[in-house]
Amino acid sequence: MTACTRCETALEDGDLRCAVCAFPAPAVVWSSVARSHAQVLRCGDCGAAVAFSAEAQAPRCGFCGATMAIEQPVDPVETAQLRLPFAVDREAAEAALRGWLGRRGWFAPRALSSEAVLESLTPLSWAAWLVNAEAQVTWAADSDAGARRSSWAPHAGQVSLGFHNIVVPASRGLREAECRLLIPYYELSRVVGVDRALGPGEVGSTIESFDAQRSAARRYVQDSIEATSKRRIEPQIPGRRYRNVHVACLLEHQTTDRIALPAWVLAYRYRGNPYRAIVHGQRPEVVFGKSPSDWTKVGTLVAITALLAAIIALAVLLR
Amino acid sequence: MAGTSTDVTTPPGVTFTCGHCGASLGFVGVRTQTCPYCASPNFVERPPGGHQPRPALVVAFTGDAAVARRKLDHWLGSRTWFADARIKRARVEDLRGVYVPAYLYSAVAHTDYTASIGEHYTESETYETTDAEGKKKTETRSVTRTEYRALAGRHVGYVTDVIVSASVGLANAELQAVEPYDLLALRRYTPAVVSGWIAEEFSRDADDCRRASRGEAVDDVGLRLRRFMPGDSHSDLTWRTTVAWESLDPILVPVWVLAVRYRDDRSPLRVVINGQTGAIAGKVPLSWWKVTLGIVVAALLVAAVIFAIAQQGGQPG
Repeated sequence: MTACTRCETALEDGDLRCAVCAFPAPAVVWSSVARSHAQVLRCGDCGAAVAFSAEAQAPRCGFCGATMAIEQPVDPVETAQLRLPFAVDREAAEAALRGWLGRRGWFAPRALSSEAVLESLTPLSWAAWLVNAEAQVTWAADSDAGARRSSWAPHAGQVSLGFHNIVVPASRGLREAECRLLIPYYELSRVVGVDRALGPGEVGSTIESFDAQRSAARRYVQDSIEATSKRRIEPQIPGRRYRNVHVACLLEHQTTDRIALPAWVLAYRYRGNPYRAIVHGQRPEVVFGKSPSDWTKVGTLVAITALLAAIIALAVLLR
Repeated sequence: MAGTSTDVTTPPGVTFTCGHCGASLGFVGVRTQTCPYCASPNFVERPPGGHQPRPALVVAFTGDAAVARRKLDHWLGSRTWFADARIKRARVEDLRGVYVPAYLYSAVAHTDYTASIGEHYTESETYETTDAEGKKKTETRSVTRTEYRALAGRHVGYVTDVIVSASVGLANAELQAVEPYDLLALRRYTPAVVSGWIAEEFSRDADDCRRASRGEAVDDVGLRLRRFMPGDSHSDLTWRTTVAWESLDPILVPVWVLAVRYRDDRSPLRVVINGQTGAIAGKVPLSWWKVTLGIVVAALLVAAVIFAIAQQGGQPG
């Protein structure tokens, strides 16, 4: 794997330009022509001259219809290179779900934990990118530091930031918000190659494929890095309150690995209705999802609140 | 499946022998030529470092001439009422799919800027007014004012995807009018992509194109800076951009160039269509009697409104 001359980001096979800075990748084979000459491209099947067909997006012979392959922009769907093993087994995941259902609060049905029927419990290794990069970040923002008549004053600055193991979700199976809840609790130091055999008692799982093409993925990764930069520079902004935070990043040395992260996806049914919950694959205490509400309790609370409001309004009017 | 055959080699020049039937072909300003006798698409391969740059990358055509004609018909049909009505019955005199030579520029841009940042604040002010009985009274209202503060700072970033025409035949402004191209679909240049199409030679100096690209890069930085500024508003934005690590790659981009004749006594209208995205641009002639009529109608309407207001104001209350 070679690196970009300009920003030293790793280039992958088929890259025509660097994904970060657009610097052209070196061509593998350049023309070996020694002198100028006229050429005709000929069909390998019938020998007739061929021309590029916009419809076929390839050179096509007008006589026999054969098309010839040319170098295409390589934009493959990718697969994980790394995975994080499960540290929560099936029993622990089910117990975590029961415990979570029992802590659903006053609005949840009283019998939720005992009456919920577990329909499926699937170990899923969901797809994500693991990004490392360095960046010069310039920022501009308003803050209350130095404010005069207005509550805000403009500020600007510059900082160098390192991004180490930034996890960017690439999952279709889990929603982005669900991934964001799981990410902070992964112990990435335990990562192994995706081909490593399962250890004794280790949970095997479905490894999710990356649904996004490489080209789209890179843009998504860069947007994510920019959003992370915005959060990281906030402590640099003087004052206690700030707004209108804008950042401009010059990324360098970016590497992107594809990783599969463990989670238990649980589907359960309560009185005929389906619900879904997620248990973290390494930390069983991290559980979230949807659960039913007891509408009788909700209605009672609304009625009591309305009654109280009416009493207060009446008291005010009678004063 | 298919192969490339080298039939004739000659010293650098503009005349070659057709690689298929042996007829003599002149390559004037183009890299490709179709033989008038056997209709074979010929192209010129030159050694790297010759007097003509070899295209490094190419964006391929995505539609044929019929697609371009449909785009043109739709475009001509959707012109404004002020356009010359004959444009809708115009005939296409010349339709050519051309790979236009251009340079693809990118660089690292470091920018120092200064600006005056407007921060809004509200304050109360008192004013005098007259009540229903005609008595004067003082009231208070809240007004929003702007405090301007100076800001100086830096902005960094990569400027990418700047395309500048390297063709004397198609001015950069014309190419810009049909940009952008989807550069995710870039291919490495191979004669197979241009075979059978007109591929123009590079006819503008690379240094000229580099200077033009820098200008576009600085303009692009200006656009980014306007979005980068904090505050509720800003003014007096000035910036100085230093570019480094520039790259300038010769590329070919697909363009349909059409000559549309709408009147026999006028020169044809030139229309340019992006050969990849179908974006279309051309300067449609206006019908001056329609423009004059529009101005007269607008003036009459304004006069009528003013007259009505004046009449209303003159009536006793």
